[in-house]
Amino acid sequence: MRVAYYKGCLASLSAKELDTSTQALAPMLGLELEELDAVTCCGAGDIHEAEPDYYLHLNARILAYAQATGADTLMTICNVCTLNLRQANHMLQNDEALLARVSQNLEKVGAPPYSGGVEVRHFLWMVADDYYDELKVVAHKGLKGLKVAPFYGCQILRPSKLMGFEDPDRPWSLEAIIDACGGEAIDYPAKIKCCGFPIIQAREETALGELIQPIEQAMEAGADAMVTPCPLCHLSLDAWQQKLEAQTGRAFRMPILHLSQLIGVAAGLEKSELRFRRHVVSMEPVLSKLEGPS
Amino acid sequence: MDVALKIWRYDPETGDRALKRYEVEAPEWACLLDVLDIVKDQVDGTLAYRKSCRMMICGSCGMRMDGRAILACKERMKPIVDRGHVPVISAMGNMPIVKDLAVDMGPFWQKIRAMKPWLEPGYEEYPEGGSEFRHSQEQMNPIHKEALCIMCGCCVSECNSMEADPEFLGPAALAKGFRFVGDPRDQKKIDRLELYNSEHGIWDCTRCYFCNERCPKGVDPRDAIAKLGAESIKEGIDRDMGAKHAKWFVRSAVTTGWLRETELVPKTQGLVSAIKETKFAISLAKKGKVPPPFPPHVADKQHEARMLRDLISTQGRDGALGHVQGERALSRIEHAVMEDPESAGRRRDVPEITPGEAPVNRDIGEQP
Repeated sequence: MRVAYYKGCLASLSAKELDTSTQALAPMLGLELEELDAVTCCGAGDIHEAEPDYYLHLNARILAYAQATGADTLMTICNVCTLNLRQANHMLQNDEALLARVSQNLEKVGAPPYSGGVEVRHFLWMVADDYYDELKVVAHKGLKGLKVAPFYGCQILRPSKLMGFEDPDRPWSLEAIIDACGGEAIDYPAKIKCCGFPIIQAREETALGELIQPIEQAMEAGADAMVTPCPLCHLSLDAWQQKLEAQTGRAFRMPILHLSQLIGVAAGLEKSELRFRRHVVSMEPVLSKLEGPS
Repeated sequence: MDVALKIWRYDPETGDRALKRYEVEAPEWACLLDVLDIVKDQVDGTLAYRKSCRMMICGSCGMRMDGRAILACKERMKPIVDRGHVPVISAMGNMPIVKDLAVDMGPFWQKIRAMKPWLEPGYEEYPEGGSEFRHSQEQMNPIHKEALCIMCGCCVSECNSMEADPEFLGPAALAKGFRFVGDPRDQKKIDRLELYNSEHGIWDCTRCYFCNERCPKGVDPRDAIAKLGAESIKEGIDRDMGAKHAKWFVRSAVTTGWLRETELVPKTQGLVSAIKETKFAISLAKKGKVPPPFPPHVADKQHEARMLRDLISTQGRDGALGHVQGERALSRIEHAVMEDPESAGRRRDVPEITPGEAPVNRDIGEQP
C-alpha cells in the first residue's frame, strides 16, 4: 500500500532515529512511503493555541499536498501531528463553507486545493490493525520476552472522538504490537497519562511532576524499557529523565524506545537504522539482554 | 435486573478505605445514581454521595466509574449488566474526599470565584431609543459551548496538570473564564486575560485532553483554554513563557516552515535562563538532539506558508474565532465507543488497573 508520509519536525531534527527506523521498516511490512517535501510543521499545540486560523491553513496545506500524491492515507509518526491533522481534517470534511474558504486560500498562494479526500492515520494504528499479520512475520528475531512498558501519550488517545481508533482508557494497540514482537507488555496506570512535554519549557516543575509518574510506575512494574509512538513523549521521557534523576537522587536509567525501534529490533534492523546512540539514556542493558541466552 | 458493583468506601473518622461489593435488584431503566439510591435505602444507609436533579443539569453527582469521571445520573446500568461487568465506583480525583463518594468542592469553587465569574457590562444606562441591548446568535456563538458547563468537576477530577500543580486554575475555571472573555457584553476582556495569564493560569495546561474526554456536557474545556491563549496573543498579552513558546512556532512556520527547534529554548525562556541550561543542553547536543540552527532546515515552497498567514490576516478569523469556526463541524462527529469486535481477538488481556485510587500527588523529592 502506498501512503503519503508526513514525518513532522522532530523526526527531521532531534529524533532522526525515528525517521530512519520507520523508513527501514516500511518496505518490510509492505508499506510504500511517499515523503512530502513541500510541507511545514503542523504547529504542534502551539500554533493551534496562538493563531488557530493559521493552524487550520497550515494543516490543510499538508493535507492538500498529501492528497496531491494520489494516496488516500496520510501516515503520521507523531501523536501531536496526528491530533492536529485529524482535527483540521474533521473540521474541513464536515463544513463545506469552511473547506471552500480554506481551499481557495491554498490555491491563492499556489498550493494544491484540498477536497477532504485524505484519511490521517498514525503508524501505530496501521501496524496494529492493517499490517498486524505482516508484523508477526517481520518481527522474526523476537524480543526474548523483554518486559516493555507501553506509553501511549495523550494525543493519540484523546479526544477519542477525533481519533476513532481505540478505547482511550483501555487501549490495546501497543500491547498487541509488543506481543507480536515477542515481548511482554507491562501494565501500569500512567500509560495513558501525560508526559508533560508541551509545558516542559514554560512550566518545568509541573511537567516533571507529570513525567515522573510513568517512569516510576514502569520501573516499579519491572519494565526493561518503555516504548512510545510519539517523538515528543520520547524526548521528554529520554532527555528529561536526567532532570528527574537530579531532582530525586534516584537512578531510573529507563531506556525509551520509539515504536519503530521496538519493531525494528525484533525485525533485525541495522544499527545505522535504529541509531540508539542518539538516545540520552543508554539502550545497552536492553541490547545485552537481547543478545544473551534466551 | 441484578446489578453488582464495588464501591470504594472512605471513613473520614478512622481514615479507613475499603472496596466493598454490593448486589441489588434494580429496574432495567436504572442509571448508576438509581442503583446507589437502592444501595443506600436497602443495604447500607451510611453510604455518602451527592445528588440533586437526576437529569444532568445540577452537576452534583460527579464520581468515578472504573477510574473515569462520570455523572452517576448519565450512566445507564443495563449495558454494563449485560456485559457481566462489575464496575468500580469511587470518588473524583484532584479533590479531597469528605466521605465515600463525596469530595470537598471547596478548592474547585475557590478557583471558579478567582475568575470573577460575573458579567461586567460597563454601562449603567439603557441604550437610546430602546429598553434592551440586543445581540445576535452569531455574536453569542463563541461561548455557546462554555455556557453549557454545569460545574460538576469531572474535568478537574482528571486534570493531569493539576495533579502536578494543585494551584493550577484548571479546566472548569478557565472554561468559565472564556465564557466571559468571549461574551460580547463584557467590557473587562483585557483585565480578565491579564488575570488568567497568571503563573497557574492558561499556560499551565499540559494539553492532555482528559477534560475534553470526560466532560459530560460537551464543553471541551481544553478548547476553551486554547481560545483564551489565542485571545491573549491577539491582544498582545504574551509575557508568559507559554505564550512566547507558542509564538515561536508561528515565527518558525513563517520563516522556515519547520520548527526552529534549537532556538526554541532561548525564545521561550529568555537568554539568561537558557544559558543556565547549558550543561543540560550539552548533554543533549552530544546525542544530536540540538540540531544546528544553520543552515536552517527550510521546507520546499515555504513561501506559501508565509503568504497564507498574510492572506488570512485580512479575513476576520483571528483570535478565538479561529477555533469557533470549526466547532460546528467537530460537533458532527459521533462520539463512538471503539469496541471493534474484529480486533477484539487481538486484544491482550490487560490486567485491571486498580481504579478509584486517589491520583498520585507525589513530591518530586519523595523517596520510595
